[in-house]
Amino acid sequence: MGTKNRIIFHIDVNSAYLSWEAAYRLQHGATLDLRTIPSAVGGDATTRHGIILAKSIPTKPYKIQTGESLYSARLKCPNLTVVPPRYHLYMQCSKALVSLLEEFSPSIQRFSIDEVFLDYSNMDIHWGDPIDAAHRIKDRIKEELGFTVNIGVSSNKLLAKMASDFEKPDRVHTLFPHEIQGKMWPLPVEELFMVGRATTSKLHKKGIFTIGQLAISDPELLTQWLKSHGRLIWQLANGLEDSPIREDYPVKGLGNSATLPFDAEDRETSHRALLSLTETVAMRLRDIRKFAGVLSISIKDRDFQSYSHQRKLEVPTHSTNILYGIACELFDELWQGQPLRHLGVRASQLHRDDLYQLSFFKGDIERQKALDTAVDKIRAQYGCDSVMRSSFLYSGLSPMMGGVIQEEEYPMMSSLL
Amino acid sequence: MKVYYYNRNYGDFMKVLMKPIEMIAWFTQDGLPTPVRFRMEQPNGSYIVIKVARTIARQEEKLAGNPMITFTCQSIVHGMERLYEIRYELKTCKWYVYKI
Ligand SMILES: [Mg+2]
Repeated sequence: MGTKNRIIFHIDVNSAYLSWEAAYRLQHGATLDLRTIPSAVGGDATTRHGIILAKSIPTKPYKIQTGESLYSARLKCPNLTVVPPRYHLYMQCSKALVSLLEEFSPSIQRFSIDEVFLDYSNMDIHWGDPIDAAHRIKDRIKEELGFTVNIGVSSNKLLAKMASDFEKPDRVHTLFPHEIQGKMWPLPVEELFMVGRATTSKLHKKGIFTIGQLAISDPELLTQWLKSHGRLIWQLANGLEDSPIREDYPVKGLGNSATLPFDAEDRETSHRALLSLTETVAMRLRDIRKFAGVLSISIKDRDFQSYSHQRKLEVPTHSTNILYGIACELFDELWQGQPLRHLGVRASQLHRDDLYQLSFFKGDIERQKALDTAVDKIRAQYGCDSVMRSSFLYSGLSPMMGGVIQEEEYPMMSSLL
Repeated sequence: MKVYYYNRNYGDFMKVLMKPIEMIAWFTQDGLPTPVRFRMEQPNGSYIVIKVARTIARQEEKLAGNPMITFTCQSIVHGMERLYEIRYELKTCKWYVYKI
């Protein structure tokens, strides 16, 4: 593809989890729009632990951070309205967003649950000028799906993503190469994609505070000093990036963890908690059509000591039952008998699920698959709690704990965007 | 309870309820639903059965990716002609009185 005429959109949902909850509530007769008051989506407030997952724009003066504990957020803003996360709703909104976008281009990359790249190159013959089209897409999403997005328009994915992060909400911004100096260089260097906290403090020590200062630094010196990452961020600061739209979902691993409502003191309770966590992880794997190649579990005891243990699977899978069995084995090898307050399950080394090795020993893969598919369908239609394992009755544990899956580790920058 | 007589300019006068109801509906061969008769719990705990006299308008939407059909209907309720809105949520097969 000629890189000269590329037009890339980056569509980013404004305060995604919160906006989606707000739209859902309005549709179900709520008279108050959560987006208009200080509000946040947070871990279950009835359990001991919870963090802020998303926050409304009116929380801005209170300086609440995503990832901060609910407790400290409430200290900053006593009248904060906190709503619990609803994972299925997020998937539903994300899918609706993608299917609306598919009307505008066949080349779409889901970058995360609330971020999508769309290749608009040569689409102007169908839908007209890119900026007009971006406005139409933005307005249709707002009108039809009830939430707002920012759309960044440029000639590559990096610049489109940087552009969508300009003033929010409900805006279209461009950041074409000739606009880099004016629009991107004055920004603090930590706002550049791929510049994390550690790199930021290294750059600050050398007197590099803005993206522009990084861009005009000597790339050779940066490479000597920060290795390949140095060259990479120098390229990004200059807007140099040409990765294609990847239609495959790029997530490398995903995990789910939860602090229990009470300490787990026996093996059965811990196993049940692992089942609850595995259910959601496996469902998400099936949803993105990936097999797990490695499964790991982590536990945290009363004294906040953490331990973890992992295993490479002989046969990659996304079957709830098989993953749960392995999680239990890992647990039995790891656990020393101490009471536990926190457990986690994580799948990594993900493979496409349409290619799998037949194993004589693992048997009835097709039957497991049919069972999982049936359960997923029922849950998608009638809600998460429509089907649950009887072992959760009277256990005090939720059949699907955690609520929000943490998706991690997008591929590194060379292949990252 | 407020009573709205002849709420022709209904948009301004109807109250948002979003109350789940029991519904008998008619589905065409093409899968197009039309409400026929429903039973709704009243504030005092008793039930009222309402026959849908006329479906005036039908509007589809999918806010939050959740498809719903809103019907504007007309019935005789407690001897008075009323306009109201009913909603059908496709994913859950639930019916609601949305505004009355
Ligand atoms: Mg976002």
